[in-house]
Amino acid sequence: MTREWNIVVCVKQVPDADDVSIDPETGTLNRSDAAAVLNKPDYNAIESALTLKEQVGGTVTAVTMGPPFAVAVLETAVALGADDGVLLTDRAFGGSDTWPTSLALAAIAEELEADVVICGEESTDSSTGQVPPGIAAHNGWAQLTYVEELEPAPEDEELIATRDIEGGHERIAASLPVVVAMEFGANQPRVAGLHRKIYAETDFEPEEYSASDLGIEDKVGLANSPTSVGGMDTADPVPRKKEMVEDADDLFEALEEEGLV
Amino acid sequence: MPADVDPDDYEDVWVFIEQHDGEVAKVSWELLAEGRKLADKKGERLVALLMGDDVDEIAEEAIVRGADHVLVADDPVFEPYRAGPYGAQFAALVEERNPDIALIGGTHTGRDFAGRVAVPTYAGLTADCTELEIEEDSHLLLAKRPTFGGDAMATIKCTTNRPQMATVRAGVFDPAERDESREGEIEHVEVVVGGEDDAFTRIIERVVSDVVDITDAEIVVAGGYGTEGNFSVIEELADALGGEVAATREAVEEGWAEPARQVGQTGKTVRPRLYIAAGISGAIQHLEGMNDSETVIAINSDENAPIFENADYGIVGDLFEVLPALAEKVREAKGEEVASDD
Ligand SMILES: Cc1cc2nc3c(=O)[nH]c(=O)nc-3n(C[C@H](O)[C@H](O)[C@H](O)COP(=O)(O)OP(=O)(O)OC[C@H]3O[C@@H](n4cnc5c(N)ncnc54)[C@H](O)[C@@H]3O)c2cc1C
Repeated sequence: MTREWNIVVCVKQVPDADDVSIDPETGTLNRSDAAAVLNKPDYNAIESALTLKEQVGGTVTAVTMGPPFAVAVLETAVALGADDGVLLTDRAFGGSDTWPTSLALAAIAEELEADVVICGEESTDSSTGQVPPGIAAHNGWAQLTYVEELEPAPEDEELIATRDIEGGHERIAASLPVVVAMEFGANQPRVAGLHRKIYAETDFEPEEYSASDLGIEDKVGLANSPTSVGGMDTADPVPRKKEMVEDADDLFEALEEEGLV
Repeated sequence: MPADVDPDDYEDVWVFIEQHDGEVAKVSWELLAEGRKLADKKGERLVALLMGDDVDEIAEEAIVRGADHVLVADDPVFEPYRAGPYGAQFAALVEERNPDIALIGGTHTGRDFAGRVAVPTYAGLTADCTELEIEEDSHLLLAKRPTFGGDAMATIKCTTNRPQMATVRAGVFDPAERDESREGEIEHVEVVVGGEDDAFTRIIERVVSDVVDITDAEIVVAGGYGTEGNFSVIEELADALGGEVAATREAVEEGWAEPARQVGQTGKTVRPRLYIAAGISGAIQHLEGMNDSETVIAINSDENAPIFENADYGIVGDLFEVLPALAEKVREAKGEEVASDD
């Protein structure tokens, strides 16, 4: 007899990466009216959470930490098939870097008695990739990052992953509970069904937790973040000649001039 | 203040030497060169940290490449790599010896276990940095990293906690030169990992092939979604120029090129003399990996493609016409060279 799994999927609201662009004239950052959307790699996380549930049974709970309007990404997850959603929202969380952020997510994973926590590889706005290993480290759980494929082994209380490593891949078995970071693009995310979408938008209410509900109010936020942003510069665009040429012959000449062929 | 830390109790710059089965990841040598500069600026030691099974030769090489001191944790539990044992051993050494700065390669391995060091030691960890500096008066580490997909550079500081940790992107710094006359000390440390019970995971199978390292290439010919899967034109030109084939994420996801050939934020950073981008739109995440190229050539059928703003030479045209024609010209020229040689 095997038991069903509590699967928690962590999702994040980010500025739409497609809206963030370089202004070709000035070379500066253009993200003024970027809409807030679900972090792209998290679609792969949701997909693998739903697939895992289909394989072993259990529930999928989407979790996000953010301001109240971050509920929108939970609705997206529920529309795609997550059973439930949890919103960690509290002014106390403000300014958290990856240390307290992963602490908060680790605490809710513990609270929800997660067997498996699935995250996207990284977020498109800050792209540290540190939160999934951070959750695992806070809870002293196993971790599997850069995962391309998951195979549950419920009879052994194990999750087996194929993960990308430098120069190849490995198959690795982790004992539960385990934190997974799915590689961006690892699977083909499903499309939300209409009924589910309507439910998510009209009836779904997330469960909300504050920092004190999790007993971590003294350990989160800006004051408890070991790193701080000491400055932000627009990345200087690399100066390029931007010379347009007509055909391969011209191009070849240019290459010869530069001593490249 | 998050942790009760007196920065004066912390000194030395640590660099993690990543090796798998005796093969050292090149980024480790890049970090030794950078670490040397930081240590000299602070007037402190450069310490290399090495984990593995039977790795003394690598420890000696670390000294030749700039380390003053090498800490070696030698045990079969460290081979093959797993996050549990690596994180536990590294964290224990940090707690015992108080390094001020600890640098780890921003490889899958480095980014996998860095958090397992930073979380228990309450260290400040900055991910995927591309520039490191020491602040003049404070002697703090200024870790710079691209953010918002590469559109902005953030400078991250860690004022209260120690160590100041950073994972550093591979391929952005030059590797440390060898100097056989250098001297240093190799110290075998106590292995604290309690065998398999502390490991959480078990490797079932590990397949590593001899994949190319595009980060070293002098000439890179990269194809994107615009190739529609026909990479032979890319390969043909790369072959004529004696360069390597690379690809965008779209092309890799379609299975047209191996993941090791992906250039960009989630791929490799390349620094060739010549980068040819064919059928590539020029998304910021892609530019991040190719911005260090000396000369960039773009071939795209869409005159408004952002890649043209980031290229030295651009052709608005069909890559299926331009690439073969260029390859032909190159072959001709090389043929002449050979002919004129005799
Ligand atoms: C978190 C995150 C990380 C990412 N990391 C990376 C990364 O590391 N590397 C990366 O590359 N991308 C990355 N991306 C994806 C990136 O945003 C773009 O989607 C991707 O770079 C686009 O690839 P492309 O230029 O090949 O395809 P497209 O954007 O589809 O561009 C294809 C181009 O080909 C041109 N074209 C079509 N036919 C022809 C023809 N016959 N001749 C000439 N030109 C033609 C078109 O005009 C078009 O400009 C990442 C995205 C996210 C969200």
